[in-house]
Amino acid sequence: MTNSPVGREIDRVDGRLKVTGAAQYSADYPAPGTAYAHVVTSTIGRGTITRIDAGAALASPGVLRVYAAPDPRLKLYPVAPQFRGLVENYAPLQDTAVRFHGQVIAMVVAESVEQARDAAALVTATYDAQPPRTSLADEPRVPAGPTVSGSPSNLTILAPGVESIDAALAASDVVVEAEFHQPVQHHVAMEPHATLAVWDGDRVTVHAGAQIPPAYALLLSQRLGVLPQDIRLISKYVGGGFGARVVVWSDALVAAAAARELGRPVKLVLTREQMFTLVGHRPHLTQIVRLGASRDGVLNAVSHESDAEMPVVGGFNVTPAHATSDTLYRTPNLRVGPRQVILDLPGSRAMRAPNEAPGAFALETAMDELAVATGVDPVELRLRNYATVSPATGLPWSSKHLDECYRVGARRFGWSRRHATPRARVDGQWLFGVGMATAVYPATRHPASVRVRLLDDDTAVVSTATADLGTGGWTMVAIAGADALGIPLKRVTPEIGDSALPQGAPAVGSSATHSTVPLIVGAAREAIAALKQLAVTDPRSPWHGANAEDLRYEEGRLRAHGRSMSFGRLLTALGSRGVDATASGPGGAPAGYAYHSFGAHFCEVRVNRFTCETRVTRFTTVADVGRVINARAARSQLVGGVIFGIGYALLEENPLELDTGRLAGSTLADYLVPVNADIPDIDVHLLDRPDPLLIGPLGDDGGEVGTRSLGARGLGEIGNVGSAAAVGNAIFNATGIRVRDVPITLDKLL
Amino acid sequence: MRPYTFTQSRSVSEAVADAGADTAFLAGGTTLVDLMKLDVMTPARVVDINRLPLHGITLDRDGLHIGALERMSDVATHRTVRQHYPMIAQALELSASAQLCNMASIGGNLLQRTRCGYFRDVTTACNKREPGSGCSALTGVNRSHAILGTSDACVATHPSDLAVALVALSAVVHLASARGTRTVPLDEFYALPGTTPHVENVLRPGELITGVSVPRSPWAGHSVYVKVRDRQSYEFALASAAVALELRGSTVAQARIAVGGVGTRPWRLTEVERALTGRPATPDTFESAVGGAADGARPLAHNAFKPALLRRTLVRALTVLQERR
Repeated sequence: MTNSPVGREIDRVDGRLKVTGAAQYSADYPAPGTAYAHVVTSTIGRGTITRIDAGAALASPGVLRVYAAPDPRLKLYPVAPQFRGLVENYAPLQDTAVRFHGQVIAMVVAESVEQARDAAALVTATYDAQPPRTSLADEPRVPAGPTVSGSPSNLTILAPGVESIDAALAASDVVVEAEFHQPVQHHVAMEPHATLAVWDGDRVTVHAGAQIPPAYALLLSQRLGVLPQDIRLISKYVGGGFGARVVVWSDALVAAAAARELGRPVKLVLTREQMFTLVGHRPHLTQIVRLGASRDGVLNAVSHESDAEMPVVGGFNVTPAHATSDTLYRTPNLRVGPRQVILDLPGSRAMRAPNEAPGAFALETAMDELAVATGVDPVELRLRNYATVSPATGLPWSSKHLDECYRVGARRFGWSRRHATPRARVDGQWLFGVGMATAVYPATRHPASVRVRLLDDDTAVVSTATADLGTGGWTMVAIAGADALGIPLKRVTPEIGDSALPQGAPAVGSSATHSTVPLIVGAAREAIAALKQLAVTDPRSPWHGANAEDLRYEEGRLRAHGRSMSFGRLLTALGSRGVDATASGPGGAPAGYAYHSFGAHFCEVRVNRFTCETRVTRFTTVADVGRVINARAARSQLVGGVIFGIGYALLEENPLELDTGRLAGSTLADYLVPVNADIPDIDVHLLDRPDPLLIGPLGDDGGEVGTRSLGARGLGEIGNVGSAAAVGNAIFNATGIRVRDVPITLDKLL
Repeated sequence: MRPYTFTQSRSVSEAVADAGADTAFLAGGTTLVDLMKLDVMTPARVVDINRLPLHGITLDRDGLHIGALERMSDVATHRTVRQHYPMIAQALELSASAQLCNMASIGGNLLQRTRCGYFRDVTTACNKREPGSGCSALTGVNRSHAILGTSDACVATHPSDLAVALVALSAVVHLASARGTRTVPLDEFYALPGTTPHVENVLRPGELITGVSVPRSPWAGHSVYVKVRDRQSYEFALASAAVALELRGSTVAQARIAVGGVGTRPWRLTEVERALTGRPATPDTFESAVGGAADGARPLAHNAFKPALLRRTLVRALTVLQERR
């Protein structure tokens, strides 16, 4: 097909709905008789609730219920063993324990949003408070568990005859040792977490933003004590995930339980302030990277250790060397050792590139320090240590064009004009500097199913319960469907965001697109086979009695024996509404290879020579992400990732009060994310080299089904990996000051 | 939000007639509504003053006159203001997003409440919000807090950029109440926190700002407002400087300087002004003149950088003006 949309600049198929306000987000759904909830949160960091006074709230106009911990009317079950570690490990409003500052301790349900909110302000609590454990530096540490990909997180590889990583470092000509700190950061998705729960007998329909609709429904059903098939989760439009919508949080649990108890639909929308403690954060952590190298910069040893917060209620197990120090550079001696520190803080959760963004900030800053220490150009230093097999596993890559990313990026950016000496470029009030860093992110495919239906109006419906977090999932499904079927994009109707659809790929780990696309191709092929079978078996068909193998499908039409008919006309002639087929895949990829996307970032900053605030002035990112499905959405993802990295480097921090466990910056005025004025034009270039091993469970189909959509890898998070280090390295080049504690605010440069 | 009565007034006399300590005047609402939703401000009465005839931006022999209900964006884009009082336009432009500037009034801007996170979170102690409850910021997260004019009861900064520029230019505010009208220099309008940080200014209960006047001067036309912050837009100042210079040749004839982001109120620096006067406008002069700018500062655990930042902000603003002539 000559007009395949794959790889082109395609507008979002849901764009018009969104800009006109017609797209319904979770809180937008109406339900007759809805009651509105507002939660009350704890104001101590650890202890026991001795009394909750709900009298004034209960007497307020319109108030239907005040649920106060412990409230047995809300039937919520403990986390089942198979889900432990995935979600917070306690049931909200079921006991009097306060586990962190900002935990749900009560919920008001009223006839209106305003009545619920105003009554919630009247609820008071008294506590038996204990000092919360909050210090990453002082509390005991334990080795971290396995990484998200299941590999051991603690790993030591030593060259023959080398006794320890310390010995390897001691034997190196040049050693860089650096300690990095990153504070609590937040996902701050635009859409507040919202839940609408509507019960019909023992069955419940829940509207809530979910990155994995089937898993969300399963987790919720277990906590509510209903059968998995009796819950339906609808999550068609989502205003940002970034990891904060992977699991079910306490807000959805109490809203759904209250709706059951009250016998009315209940809608709960968290306030922005509440989102800072109730729906996760990026755990704060300390990292120590040690690099040993020869005088010309060839690595002899890489050591990457870390201490990351692990909330007592459960959270994300940060392993920052995962896919960074254990992947990026060739080294004969490698040691990675993440540790956890149990603290009384709100539940944490994976946040965009949850290991790799912090890990690459540390590693890629340390590499810049090594470049300074050895006098080797930072790009050249990375090429000198280029890995052709994964240092942790010894496996070759399915596809790797990182060297091309460095070279193309350097050329686009004008890297050769760099001054190696800091403070060499001054223009008026501003010091200018440039820096670069490497990006990397694992490519993991998840199990999924896709159904393709060919309809009698010549359109096709492609259905799978994945999620579009605002990133382009709707459009990806439509593009791959149009390509596979050889029909125009506008004749493909995508269906996603509903747990009732065939199990979809999780929108996590930058994996939804490359998990889904091969199955769209597979389901399209099966649907065409079903169409042909119908064509040769139905007496009303012009091809009745022919061999199915003689029929050829092309661009939405069947051809054989001198006749040609569109599938819609054929189905109409046969009196059939449509044919469909479902394809399922187990996830994974051919064994014996490492799968990663790669990239290179180049950044220019200016730092005011009087007051030292940093502004990013130029940014170039070149990425090797396999096949590009939608050039516009792909670029947008990379740009968004770079903006995340700029925020990581310069702005994002929620300060923790050590004595109270309170996160002091829990508003959007205090928790700074970049605004438009902070972001320059970002130059993104994608190599668009299909990964030859990520083509899915496909045999040769004789070329009938489009396969231009195959060979994609993930690109949702890679822009976020290394970009912060590129900013920090540019700041060093501008000022001569190395800051290893993010955010790199002006006070650290004065 | 607590229940309150809502009325609209058509005249100043009507608005102030029954106004008392429990009354809040509503103009743009960008501070008031926000703080009412947070339960920080709980007025029993809200009087909408948007229909009052408090408009006009005029320049006459005495100076610039701005009605209290003029919107920040209208003043910022006004040609007369931009030409004769550039630092006022710059302070307004750097204050807030376009959406906020389109709503917020000049009178309201001067009365906006501090951005101290403890003031805005009713679950924490705050003497300004709840007298006698204590100051969480003293031992809490205080990077953005004040170093000048603080007390053991309060270390909150005054957030207005406009007020800093107006204090530098010796502006006055016109006030009206049921007892009549009066005019107060803006530099005397704001109170130091002392032991009563809930008392932020000299407004009497129910008194209303009706307008602002800024005198003519040989220096107002050669002025700049520099605002330093972590984020390029949509954020309050870590330090700011409103600087106006009258230069004769390369000599500073007169200087007017106030700073923001560092004080519990807009902070005029007359010592620095004097140190500049009669001196050549050179980097050396600037460096030595600002040496004592932060004298008396009381830095906190997280804002020890502010004295240095304040001095550097001043040098930057002076350098901008010196290079621009």
